[in-house]
Amino acid sequence: MKIHGVAIEDTFAEAFAMRVARILITGKTARWAREAALKLTGFATSVIGCKCEAGIERELPEGETPDGRPGVSVLFLTMDAESLGKRLIERLGQTVLTCPTTACFDGLPDAPDRVAVGRALRVFGDGFQASKVIGGKRYWRVPVMEGEFLVAESFGVQKGIGGGNFLVLAEDEDRALAAAEAAVEAMAPLPGVVLPFPGGVVRSGSKVGSKRYKNMIATTNDAFSPSLRAVTTSGLPEGVNSVLELVLDGLDAPAIEAAMRAGIRAACVAGVRAISAGNYGGKLGPHHFHLRRLLGGPPPAPRAPAA
Amino acid sequence: MSDAIILSLRGALERKLEADCIVPDRLASLGAKEIAALPVWAGGQPAALGDFFTVRGERSACVRIEGDLADADGIGAGMAGGELVIEGNAGRDLGVQMAGGTIVVQGSAGDNAGGALPGASRGMTGGEILIHGSTGAETGAAMRRGLIVIGGDAGAGAGRAMIAGSLVVFGRAGPGAGRWIKRGTIVALGPIEPPATFRYACTYRPPHLRLTLVYLRGRYGLSVADRYVTGRYHRYSGDLAELGKGEILQWVAA
Repeated sequence: MKIHGVAIEDTFAEAFAMRVARILITGKTARWAREAALKLTGFATSVIGCKCEAGIERELPEGETPDGRPGVSVLFLTMDAESLGKRLIERLGQTVLTCPTTACFDGLPDAPDRVAVGRALRVFGDGFQASKVIGGKRYWRVPVMEGEFLVAESFGVQKGIGGGNFLVLAEDEDRALAAAEAAVEAMAPLPGVVLPFPGGVVRSGSKVGSKRYKNMIATTNDAFSPSLRAVTTSGLPEGVNSVLELVLDGLDAPAIEAAMRAGIRAACVAGVRAISAGNYGGKLGPHHFHLRRLLGGPPPAPRAPAA
Repeated sequence: MSDAIILSLRGALERKLEADCIVPDRLASLGAKEIAALPVWAGGQPAALGDFFTVRGERSACVRIEGDLADADGIGAGMAGGELVIEGNAGRDLGVQMAGGTIVVQGSAGDNAGGALPGASRGMTGGEILIHGSTGAETGAAMRRGLIVIGGDAGAGAGRAMIAGSLVVFGRAGPGAGRWIKRGTIVALGPIEPPATFRYACTYRPPHLRLTLVYLRGRYGLSVADRYVTGRYHRYSGDLAELGKGEILQWVAA
């Protein structure tokens, strides 16, 4: 199978189940909502080293937020609900509570599983905090020097998917990067997914474990590292000199599939030899996204730009 | 089962009507004949609801009442769920000690809306009351939780001895508003005179109030001017003769 002359390898991306919360941050201006969201999602590329994965899903216009201010939607994922609560308490407490003008709302209000994040953060108020039930939902008002920080008492948690991916196998670094950037641009507007790595792109794809160091749980993906072609069992076709990976986390499989489809199509440009995907032989995760099967479907309709 | 139960007043009330049987979550299990047979008191005499209202629909927790009910007291008393819309005025004790659900009054309401019954320690403990017009005295007295919104003026003693909850007054708040409250919020978009036992704290934009006003726009289609949503408010803490954890938020004209 080829798209614009780029080979689509007969393989699949292997993803795993995570727990996800959607955090809505609003601010006096989009800038301040974004500032808080960027801090919240900083150092949240991989559960391997960051204990969580997170990214900005999209910016929200005033009409789509609970308090009518501009906002940002963040997807935040960990491996289980308990750690999700812990990480959110740590991070919201340090990045959103601290950020001028912001308020923090639950983006999955119908999810039956909850983590009591605002309830934990309220104690920063040292007894001066107060709760308020608005529209059937409880919020905490935490007094701060600026005024008040408003935060939802709890956040909905649902099963999500982490580790959706595909690899761009290109003739050189420049063409790999250009293709990856095009893929990110195509995937970023789509709902229900985030790209947790820098700019949405990973240069250091990994394999599970190590050939040499017992304590390492992940090490370089030597099979896809061009500089190791001569000294390891390489998975790279001839003419490939640089590989970049696109990693996607999302709310559900259809969201991941739609984004992968859009991203792969966008990445099939001149200078790209093949599109592949990272998997572990089906041993790591229950979600398998077969590239050729995905691309047999129609391209997704992009979300309308925010008003 | 109907989409809604509609109670239409047959004619103007000539005597006070005690109509505390009109409670949506109780009517939800009743047929039209059973609803018409519910007991009321008219001028101190026992009567049936059907003597005063025509009943259309049955077995629904959505109730609409047509007519001027300024002399009908106790409507929605103790309701725990459902929706009640009064397309006119309501008498005293509207939604007294209600625990849930919503009441919308297109006109005005009498004394003690959302308040407590005589001798009771608590008023409403949940739910929402929206009164487009004005209210009598002691609206929300001793309320423990919930939201009351008054589109017009509030009579004397609004929110007296509130334990918690929120009371929003778009018009003028009468004398004694907020006296003896423990916690809770009284929002005054019009004139108010905080009791002497309240102390000024600051002038700011309370984020929960913005959320409340935006919610009222969306949930009830209430026309809330941007100046209230984005505006600044004087915060008075009180009642310092009680817990002092309550507040009066007074809108400040720019």
